[in-house]
Amino acid sequence: MSDLIFSQNYFEIFSLDVSTNPDLALLNENNRALQRLAHPDKFANSSEAEKRLAMQKTSLINQAFNTLKDPALRLQYMLSLKGIDMNAETDTTMNGAFLMDQMELREKISEVRSQSDPLDELEKISKDLKSSSANLIIEFDKHYQADDLDTGREVIRKLQFINKAQREVSELTEQLEDELL
Amino acid sequence: MALLQISEPGQSTKPHEHKFAIGIDLGTTNSLVATVRSGLADTLADVNGQHLLPSVVQYAADGVLVGQEAKDHQVADSQNTISSIKRLMGRGISDLKILGDNLPYAFSTSDSSVPRIKTAAGDKTAIEISADILKVLKQRGEQTLGDKLEGAVITVPAYFDDAQRQATKDAAKLAGLKVLRLLNEPTAAAVAYGLDSGAEGIVAVYDLGGGTFDVSIMQLRQGVFEVLSTGGDSALGGDDFDHAIAEWVIAQAGLNANDLSAGTLRLILQEACAAKENLSQHNQSEITIKFEESQTWFGTLTRDIFQQLIDPMIKKTLMSCRRALRDAEIEKHQVMDVVMVGGSTRTLRVRELVGEFFDTQPRVDIDPDRVVAIGAAIQANALAGNDPEGNLLLMDVLPLSLGIETMGGLAEKIIQRNTPIPVSKAQDFTTYKDGQTAMAVHIVQGERELIDDCRSLARFELRGFPPHVAGSARIRVTFQVDADGLLSVTAREENSGVEASVEVKPSYGLQDSEIESMLKASMEYAAEDKDARSLREQQVEADRVIQAIDAAMADDGSVMLSDNEKALIIEARGKLQAARHQATDSQELKSVMANLEKVSAAYVAKRMNASVQKTMAGHKVEEFNND
Repeated sequence: MSDLIFSQNYFEIFSLDVSTNPDLALLNENNRALQRLAHPDKFANSSEAEKRLAMQKTSLINQAFNTLKDPALRLQYMLSLKGIDMNAETDTTMNGAFLMDQMELREKISEVRSQSDPLDELEKISKDLKSSSANLIIEFDKHYQADDLDTGREVIRKLQFINKAQREVSELTEQLEDELL
Repeated sequence: MALLQISEPGQSTKPHEHKFAIGIDLGTTNSLVATVRSGLADTLADVNGQHLLPSVVQYAADGVLVGQEAKDHQVADSQNTISSIKRLMGRGISDLKILGDNLPYAFSTSDSSVPRIKTAAGDKTAIEISADILKVLKQRGEQTLGDKLEGAVITVPAYFDDAQRQATKDAAKLAGLKVLRLLNEPTAAAVAYGLDSGAEGIVAVYDLGGGTFDVSIMQLRQGVFEVLSTGGDSALGGDDFDHAIAEWVIAQAGLNANDLSAGTLRLILQEACAAKENLSQHNQSEITIKFEESQTWFGTLTRDIFQQLIDPMIKKTLMSCRRALRDAEIEKHQVMDVVMVGGSTRTLRVRELVGEFFDTQPRVDIDPDRVVAIGAAIQANALAGNDPEGNLLLMDVLPLSLGIETMGGLAEKIIQRNTPIPVSKAQDFTTYKDGQTAMAVHIVQGERELIDDCRSLARFELRGFPPHVAGSARIRVTFQVDADGLLSVTAREENSGVEASVEVKPSYGLQDSEIESMLKASMEYAAEDKDARSLREQQVEADRVIQAIDAAMADDGSVMLSDNEKALIIEARGKLQAARHQATDSQELKSVMANLEKVSAAYVAKRMNASVQKTMAGHKVEEFNND
């Protein structure tokens, strides 16, 4: 396997077009194919330098795979390809209406225990969050195509909020299930 | 001829030569060794035909016994007979309480972070005790194969943290074993099961051993074994079932565990274990225990009572299963097969509840004791270079998130759990004081937000980066997790490109120097061995010296040396060349080497000066005084 991957972007590594909605089955398949070539286990009898290189290549492939698999990370990466680093920014003001929605949602989550069927309620919230997330990806795509990256950045921030709420819902679900068990 | 042996990477020099490698399942209760011969993987038996080696070591004043012979002394010599030592691997003194109050051993008080058990043969760490078990398995491998071993794949619970993995690797080093790979137990089981059944799809491996529990959700596809997620509990296993029964017996007998001797406790545990095993065949189990003062207690353990005792523990394992499914984003119905591994899955109640949870009949047709060692042997065989088509590929994940301590005792996650490994992540730090040239990074492993709730792995001290104004240094710390799941850390100051030195202070492990001194003390390297070893080391050193001298002489020997100086060096070089092949003792070789170094000392100094002058040419001296 050539050293070219060190200069490729994550999409190129997996022979995918830059897209908000890449073919995940193909991503998985190409990941396995690359690992077959680069994984350190394939270099068990090679020199230390080759072993090290294999580890670096596989680390990069795994990093790229993780980034493309996760929607928020994927979109953020797409922005970074256009020179925008979201981790470095300090201006994080958000749309007021969106923040209100988020606060309402948080309240709903924190009060879920008092519902008659909290697990069912959490599942509903989770479904809503999933569809919001899907809509945001479509919205981002529109702005990205139109090269309106500032608006795209705002969409990702919203997506990050949604993801955080989704994680809280999963954690609470786990907690409640554990208590029921 | 060294020059003729160059081969393509990944190919062995002689394609038809079979290299022997072993797979070792270093278990809490039993250990096994397996290998691949004529294309078939199987576990190896001892001279009595026994495959399972009880993971028990007796340290008597007159010698060390391992396996069944040691186990026979468990009641009579409980203080010196160590079992379930795997539970102490990578653990600190503060963990002993968590592991249960009933450890029948005496611990020595020392300032080391690693607990040491007092025995008649001296203080022993978990690493040394595990090494003694590994030595027996290694020997069994060598005797059966009648050949030198290329190395070993050693399995560890998938849920083992970095300290526990490192301890296992250290034990192998102490036993004189080359570790080809640390392999996660459920992954090893999946390899054996998958290659045997030819199954493709999503599989859950439920592995309940004597002291550890793992679950892995895996995707099997065309020889690729991809772990999607893993979960578990590295301190939960069949041992705990025994303890629960023992506590029940003690309560039923109206006794207090604190009043009982270590031998009696051991006896009750043995009876508890026998009763547990009996319940896999029968509806109830009679228990008879002869206490001290010829008191005897009879009782009946029914399946109902047994279930009440162990259900909470089984439910804990199911919690891990649910978490693993969620992390893998897999629904229960997508799981094609649930593979049961580990001796404790023989308990019928375990099978019943696991079946209910996954809503499918779990696979119990494979030998739950041997499958892990067999999977390890298959990978060892491939890693040794005996898998020319190279179809087998294992892709594993990091079981627990890695984080660093930030202000206020919080843990900031650097690498999330279930990230595929190997993986690396860089994080930038800066200094908070003017002229600061060192900093410390505290690494923890676990899912909780507070540092104190996570497992402390190590403190890394980074030193030697150039001083800057506070906040202007950019120190990039790279966390690298390798394919064994082990973490290493490197750091460099980005503005100057200076690589910082990293000193590791493991929280619950041995320092490298401690391992070295154990190695030295180890019986493995008897005096003769040691001599041969140091002779080999000196020979390598001699080769290096000769090579360096030759290169230097070819470069500038005729310019820098007078004929007389040159002749002296050539003569000394010739003597070293001869001694390199003829000397039988390392001291002799060393003195010849010292002679060459002496006659060439002036030459070496002259070359060094020349090279410094070359570097400085065109620069002012002040430039070099600046930091």
